Amino acid sequence: MTLPHAATSGADPDQAFRAGLRQFLAEHHPGRRPNDPGERLAWTKAWLATLFDNGYAGPGWPREFGGMDLSFAQQVIYHEEVARARVPGPPGTGVGIAAPTIIRYGTREQKQRWLAPMLRGDKVWAQGYSEPEAGSDLPSLRTTARRDGAEYIVSGQKIWTSHAADADVFFTLVRTGTQESRQRGITYLVIDAHAPGVQVRPLRDLTGGHQFAEVFFDDVRVPVGNRIGEENDGWRLARTSLGHERTAGAMSQAEMYRRVLTELEELARERGLLADPLVRDQFVDLEIRVGIIRYKAQAAIGDILAKGEAGPVSSISRLLITAFEQDIHEFALDLLGPVGLLGKSAPQAVQRSRWLHGFLRTRASTIGAGTREIQLNTVAEQVLGLPHEPGMPAR
Amino acid sequence: MTAGYRAEHDELRQLVRGFLREKSPGHEVRRLIEADRNRDDAVWAQMADQLGLPGIVVPTAHGGAGYGPAELGIVLAEMGRVLLVAPYFATVALAGQALATSGDEEAQERWLPGIADGSLTATLAVAEGSGSWDLGEVTVSAEPAGGHWNVSGTKLFVVDGHSADLLLVVARAPDGLGVFGVERDAPDVERAKLDTLDMTRELASVILRGAPAVRVGAGQDAMAWLSLVGDLALAALAAEQIGGAARCLELSVEYAKVREQFGRPIGSFQAIKHKCASMLLEVECGQSAVYHASVALGEGQPDASIAATLAYAYCSRAFTHAAKECIQIHGGIGYTWEHDAHLYLRRAKSSELLFGPPARQRARLAELAGI
Repeated sequence: MTLPHAATSGADPDQAFRAGLRQFLAEHHPGRRPNDPGERLAWTKAWLATLFDNGYAGPGWPREFGGMDLSFAQQVIYHEEVARARVPGPPGTGVGIAAPTIIRYGTREQKQRWLAPMLRGDKVWAQGYSEPEAGSDLPSLRTTARRDGAEYIVSGQKIWTSHAADADVFFTLVRTGTQESRQRGITYLVIDAHAPGVQVRPLRDLTGGHQFAEVFFDDVRVPVGNRIGEENDGWRLARTSLGHERTAGAMSQAEMYRRVLTELEELARERGLLADPLVRDQFVDLEIRVGIIRYKAQAAIGDILAKGEAGPVSSISRLLITAFEQDIHEFALDLLGPVGLLGKSAPQAVQRSRWLHGFLRTRASTIGAGTREIQLNTVAEQVLGLPHEPGMPAR
Repeated sequence: MTAGYRAEHDELRQLVRGFLREKSPGHEVRRLIEADRNRDDAVWAQMADQLGLPGIVVPTAHGGAGYGPAELGIVLAEMGRVLLVAPYFATVALAGQALATSGDEEAQERWLPGIADGSLTATLAVAEGSGSWDLGEVTVSAEPAGGHWNVSGTKLFVVDGHSADLLLVVARAPDGLGVFGVERDAPDVERAKLDTLDMTRELASVILRGAPAVRVGAGQDAMAWLSLVGDLALAALAAEQIGGAARCLELSVEYAKVREQFGRPIGSFQAIKHKCASMLLEVECGQSAVYHASVALGEGQPDASIAATLAYAYCSRAFTHAAKECIQIHGGIGYTWEHDAHLYLRRAKSSELLFGPPARQRARLAELAGI
């Protein structure tokens, strides 16, 4: 009297799909990543076009927009194989964030106009949500869109926009209602990055690099046809669950962290540091966490396969991952001692200073896309049902 | 890839939860503690007769349900939630799983039907003076004596060892480590309850002075078998721990919603919210770790040892953390004898140390992971 085993992937069509994809990736692999940013972008776009033109782009997307419309199980396989092949992913955040919203809420014309060029890499999309005065408190955003006939006239400033310099399109949240209307007066608007009045100013971050930019809109004219959903309904669209596509990639992401930890263990072994019981204990801590990141990815995928939906606490994975990213890089620096402080141009630097760069870069992990503190609030209120902070505006 | 969900598991969880809600409320736990009992006989009989819980991992051929570590984990998590006072962990998770994996048909036929029908309680005695479950530290010895064996030495920290009908004693025989069954009426056995932190789980010392015993699993590679039994025990205890942690979180959240200070529920303060959300994170992670470990053990996956050790290391910390936070969030009331918070803290800390110092568990994980 044993319970039947739940369905797992691994049936024959899935194996055949995996083999075919693996072969394709091996035969068409784009080779080494160029160091020059301009060359790298062209290289990435060429690879995306190769995928698209051969029917290997958009695993979860509908076929009519150039996607593959795979089952969820095969989407998982897709992400595993793509991660294994170490090929570039799409530039910008359009494919991950804007596209599911367009697929769900866009008009037929919008889908035809935007989706395929985004997926093929012909157009790079970047997100314009945050503003200087609207970070964690995003509903207080101030970039205005004033209706003028068949156009909106957009004025204001966005900040922390990643990939802005490469962007052809910004998908933004703008204010169409009064300031007091907060989230009830926000509209989802797609803005041509090359339109008159759009100015991108790279922002130097604490790593010394230019991962983000400020984007200024000065009376930019945007056709009403670029609005997704109804006017003043943008907040709901932006907050709607973006489907399961990202969960499908959770496993390959977990495997990536597994690999990073193994690489750090190898480094510690080479440098003779593993005999120290304190060092070993810290590695055990990371081993436990990387194991649990994998279990949570498996559980999220399993839930979707079995029940058709992710559990209510899927946001927990992000809390785990962001803390892990920060801690592993800092631990690596501690292991290396003063050598860990060397920048990549120093000849004595270890592994081109990847751990130092990671230590700095991952400060953003617990800030971007909602600070850790706000996420904990959200979990406490939405999952545990704890009372709302009285001093805060209603959701 | 392992799927994370089975509808049958939800049914089992609800069944056991409903039963324990009725049979093991807080005042019942208190009553048994005050009476210095390790079970309520009627509840134990109902667990066997109505739900078949003691037989959950007993093969069907021996009168059990034939389930595995995953289902046992679900039952133990529910028992951990309510701090059930019963010799279930000892009888089922320790002795029951040891017998079920022993490959010893004779021993199984002799004892497993009694475990399954609730008439026999049992335990596994491994630790000695240091409290460690490291098999290398076993000094209790077994000598062949005609058709049986004589076992001598002292076992400590034996879970429910004072009352168990059957003691499975790990001892050193002339041909290496082995397991020896000492029954209730055997002479030359001296058992005593230990005064210990967790009042909801009895620990005992067992002094054996040439006590007559039956060898169990003689044909087995004892080290491999006992390692597996150890891993099964770790996963089972981790399951129980995460059930306790989940209950600590619930108690904290319930209280934070109703307790008002400064004119508002304390749960509206971020400091309390973040504590609760962090506990939830740990409970969720612990549940995933337990699930993965029990499935890996049930399917005999190569990473089962790592998964079990990982789950226990994680859930140990998670439960102790949750129990401490539960007291902190309750403030003064949480420091009183009457509030259940300290019962959870006692169970949590005791479970964390039950198989030896946590640092040793973590060192073992480092070895298993090849660090």
